[in-house]
Amino acid sequence: MTTPAIKVEGISYAYGDIEAVKSVSFEVAQGEILGFLGPNGAGKSTTIKVLTGQLTPHSGKASILGVDVKKDSPEIQAQIGVCFEEKNLYLNMTAVENLSFFASLFRIKNVDIEGLLYRVGLGDRAKDRVKNYSKGMQQRLMVARSLVNSPKVLFLDEPTDGLDPVSSQAIRQIIKDEARRGAAVLLTTHDMHEADELSDRVVFLNEGKIYAMDKPETLKLKHGKRSVRVRFRENGDVKEQIVALDESSTGEQLKSAVDTEGILTIHTEEATLEDIFVQMTGRGLKG
Amino acid sequence: MNALISRIAIVGSIIKKDLTEFVRDRLWILLSALGLVFYVGIFWLLPSTVDETITVGIRQTGLDIALQEMIEAEDEGLKVVLFESSERLKAAVAGEIETQKEIQIGIDFPDDFLSKTLRQEKAIVRVYVASGVPKEISRAMSSLVREIAHMISGDDLPFTEPDEQTVVLGEDRMGNHVPFRDKMRPMLVFFILMVETFALASLIASEIQAKTVTAVLVTPARTGDVLAAKTILGTLLAFAQSVVLLLAVAALGENVLLVLCIVLLAALMVAGIAMITGSSGKDFLSTLIYGMIFMVLLVIPAFAALFPGMASPWVKILPSYGIVEAMVGATIYGKGWGESTPYLALIAVWDSIILGSGLLVLKKKAEAL
Repeated sequence: MTTPAIKVEGISYAYGDIEAVKSVSFEVAQGEILGFLGPNGAGKSTTIKVLTGQLTPHSGKASILGVDVKKDSPEIQAQIGVCFEEKNLYLNMTAVENLSFFASLFRIKNVDIEGLLYRVGLGDRAKDRVKNYSKGMQQRLMVARSLVNSPKVLFLDEPTDGLDPVSSQAIRQIIKDEARRGAAVLLTTHDMHEADELSDRVVFLNEGKIYAMDKPETLKLKHGKRSVRVRFRENGDVKEQIVALDESSTGEQLKSAVDTEGILTIHTEEATLEDIFVQMTGRGLKG
Repeated sequence: MNALISRIAIVGSIIKKDLTEFVRDRLWILLSALGLVFYVGIFWLLPSTVDETITVGIRQTGLDIALQEMIEAEDEGLKVVLFESSERLKAAVAGEIETQKEIQIGIDFPDDFLSKTLRQEKAIVRVYVASGVPKEISRAMSSLVREIAHMISGDDLPFTEPDEQTVVLGEDRMGNHVPFRDKMRPMLVFFILMVETFALASLIASEIQAKTVTAVLVTPARTGDVLAAKTILGTLLAFAQSVVLLLAVAALGENVLLVLCIVLLAALMVAGIAMITGSSGKDFLSTLIYGMIFMVLLVIPAFAALFPGMASPWVKILPSYGIVEAMVGATIYGKGWGESTPYLALIAVWDSIILGSGLLVLKKKAEAL
């Protein structure tokens, strides 16, 4: 049995009286992408801070590649990459200097910095100072920085936040490639479509607690309502009929709807992760 | 051993990065360069010699030459200029005669001064004093007139003095007056160190405020590596700039090792203050304000060290007093390690307090981000 890349057993953390993470447990295997879904203040970033050694859990146990995170081991840090939610780059330095500095902290000498920058679409601006970058470019550099040591475990906190659709798609492709390379990825996001597209499994986190953890498809099948929406014209007016697919009379209703004259469109519909999140927690993801 | 090499390499990388950031910060580079040029310029513009002669104008027909010799014999620092009339003497003291601007005190002896003095009668002698002359000098002139009257009348003074008229307690600096610009050397070094404090504080504040230190701490670099790098770079930058200034103002002639040791201790203090102010400020302005508070606190003792006898006891225990006093002793009066040890000890104690506090504040701040 292989050791999970990330193993979390009942960790809790509180900022004073406010409990940010309450007895959270999960595992992430090598090559797996685990999506952490939750609104602001759900405990996503705190969980990442605990796992990356920035905070010490008040209770519970967490390990990265089999090593307890409380041990403050540089060997663990050498194997992880972190992309923070806040853009914490050295603005007076160039992209190459930023990445070279972090490569030197990992004591890696032969990093293909330029290749990495081309991978995130910054190859042409490699020698520009970061303060002259747009927010989207800085975000892409943040992602590149998290990959400088070819990490075995990757923590990505809102990696596509503020990016245009094309850049977002490029970053998503990089995340998929990293997982294919064998990296375990813990991805936090507000974006349900991103979570749905990328994650092998998702965790619904709200008020520091895990509400659900499963494959997106399983969650949707288990908790979401599937239906067919039929739009038709009747006496000059456009009307619509929604047929639920999980009821005993579904077949008859569907046949009746399809037999209707003047059909305009027929769409199958399934619940989104956000619908299920709202259904389970009573809160929206962007709250 | 490998772990140690790894730590040293990481500290080296952080120092290199900090140096790049420091050099790229145009504001502080410009201020540091301007500071150096300004302070060196000030030094070379200040007078290099000391003229402590007091020029006194006197008027007394008939006795003027004898009085002149008598007064000049009383004190080597007195020079006498004779005047024919009271009006002209008053005009000279008032600064109305362009060619005799140096006369700040006038003694107007009446025509019957000699006859009345010999008859033991009271003569009225007027002493004119320019507005800027300190009270103690005008009082000294009045005493001089009384002494002259006693000498002319042949009366003994109502007290006797030993052969050695004045017993100097401490070092006798008579005839060995120090030019003001030499006294200013330690103060200029102190000012450069203060500018450096702001520059380093700004560097630390930007790292804290941008949370770049958080990114560093999720790599194999530890908080201790960051602290070591900041201490080493901060101290080296402050030390290097001070040495450049000392060379430019020709202050490394004697006691070189002692002077460098004092500057090194001062640079450590600067690194500590920069850590405290850089970590405490929430933005550029608050960092500047915290820095100013330290500067005001430290500049008072530094000035007091330049004017012996003026420092209150509480001022003498502050680190800047020790720094300036030790440098004055080493660069001006040739004091060695033995005489400077109390000051070095004072600075070292303060260094451990300030640098220790700075490291603690920076560590807590970096880990709490």
